Amino acid sequence: MTETKPQVALAVRNLNFYYGQNHALHDISIDFPARKVTAMIGPSGCGKSTLLRIFNRMYDLYPGQRATGEVLFDGRNILETGLDLNILRARIGMVFQKPTPFPMSIYDNIAFGVRLHERLNKADMDARVQDVLTRVALWNEVRDRLNAPAAGLSGGQQQRLCIARSIATRPEVLLLDEPTSALDPISTARIEELLDELKEEFTIAIVTHNMQQAARCADQVAFFYMGRLIEVDTADRIFTNPRQQQTQDYITGRFG
Amino acid sequence: MADRSHIVKSYEQELGQLRSMMSQMGGIVENQVALALSAIADRNEEAADAAARQDPDVDGLERDVESLAIRLLALRSPMASDLREIVAALKITGDLERIGDYASSIARRSLRIRGSDGQISLSGLRSMGRLVQDNLRRSIDAITQQDSNRAMEVWHADRAVDEYYTALFRELVTYMMEDPRNIRACTELLFIAKNLERIGDHATNIAERVFYAVTGDNLPAVRPRGGPAAAENAAEPADR
Repeated sequence: MTETKPQVALAVRNLNFYYGQNHALHDISIDFPARKVTAMIGPSGCGKSTLLRIFNRMYDLYPGQRATGEVLFDGRNILETGLDLNILRARIGMVFQKPTPFPMSIYDNIAFGVRLHERLNKADMDARVQDVLTRVALWNEVRDRLNAPAAGLSGGQQQRLCIARSIATRPEVLLLDEPTSALDPISTARIEELLDELKEEFTIAIVTHNMQQAARCADQVAFFYMGRLIEVDTADRIFTNPRQQQTQDYITGRFG
Repeated sequence: MADRSHIVKSYEQELGQLRSMMSQMGGIVENQVALALSAIADRNEEAADAAARQDPDVDGLERDVESLAIRLLALRSPMASDLREIVAALKITGDLERIGDYASSIARRSLRIRGSDGQISLSGLRSMGRLVQDNLRRSIDAITQQDSNRAMEVWHADRAVDEYYTALFRELVTYMMEDPRNIRACTELLFIAKNLERIGDHATNIAERVFYAVTGDNLPAVRPRGGPAAAENAAEPADR
């Protein structure tokens, strides 16, 4: 990887998406710079979560949903058929709005995904689990109960566990769909601090309804409205002086 | 999206309140400057008193604007144009308060130049006063109407104020050289001219802040300055 100019981790080109007859995304083109946080904002139904779900081909699970255009990741269009989705999803991790720990131990929640892609001996696996739990600042809280069910953790801890699980397979891109909307302010602050550290290694795309969160976390902000990308710019520009009236109306709370 | 008012009505009302306090403050300050100029031109002692008496009102409004702006920042998390408007209000209120102080100072000094009637022409000072008053009125209109074109006009007009000041400076120095008995009155008049020039500068500051609040862009850092201002530079150290 060269350090000379900002690299693009994901390049979306003329992307259209359909839920059956419903044309949900219209001709979206946007770059996600490597090792930066890009926040996607917009009212419910604007297509931001749809875009996130395209990046790891979640829509393949549902018949009648289709995408046209290109999403270039590491030189390859991830929309094309014949792509190994398991590998894709290991390289592009996803964290959802509600914490979704597997019904197993804290340890196995992390080891589960790793075992699908790598053969690690016990010591290496232990080290991996400790490493990712430490990075999400959960290690000290759970080190004594790694074999306890993950369901026993608090909501904020569960969400940090889910992020740990996502980064355990060493992805390049981390997708987060409203990761803190079910969390209290302290847990939210921890996750935001975590994003700040994780972006040194990962490219992060976050969907959020919380404008302040987008302002706090993001390097780049994209505003979507009714399936269209209205404006994308630095967070600084979007929140102090957006170019588009629609963006301005949305972020100031004037949306009719 | 045709309606540009906030979904949250109380937020809209608070912004309206902020605007109304700003225009009230602007009105008082404008009046203070008018009274101060009348105190000089018409030797009007009552006007001088009236100008000074309004200072506490201006100070009170400045505090009110500040506390409302801080409350808005804390409770509403304003963004984009709202954020710019509130931050601009915080700074403009300081400029208005300074203008009020200069007007009071001019009013007080006007009482000390009586007795020099006829010796010194006040026509230059009157013209400068009218120009400054005009600029101030336009900058206050720019606040109340959120008008960036108005703001731009004020910004360009400040050059003429500076030129008047430089010319007045030379004129008053000449009076003092002609007859030392003029020194006392001319010194007061010099201060008055300087105060007027400062009012012009604050009016320009206001125009710059309104321009930023409305457009999101800054006017150039270097504003057009009047003449070489050689007289001033030779006679007094830079004070800003």
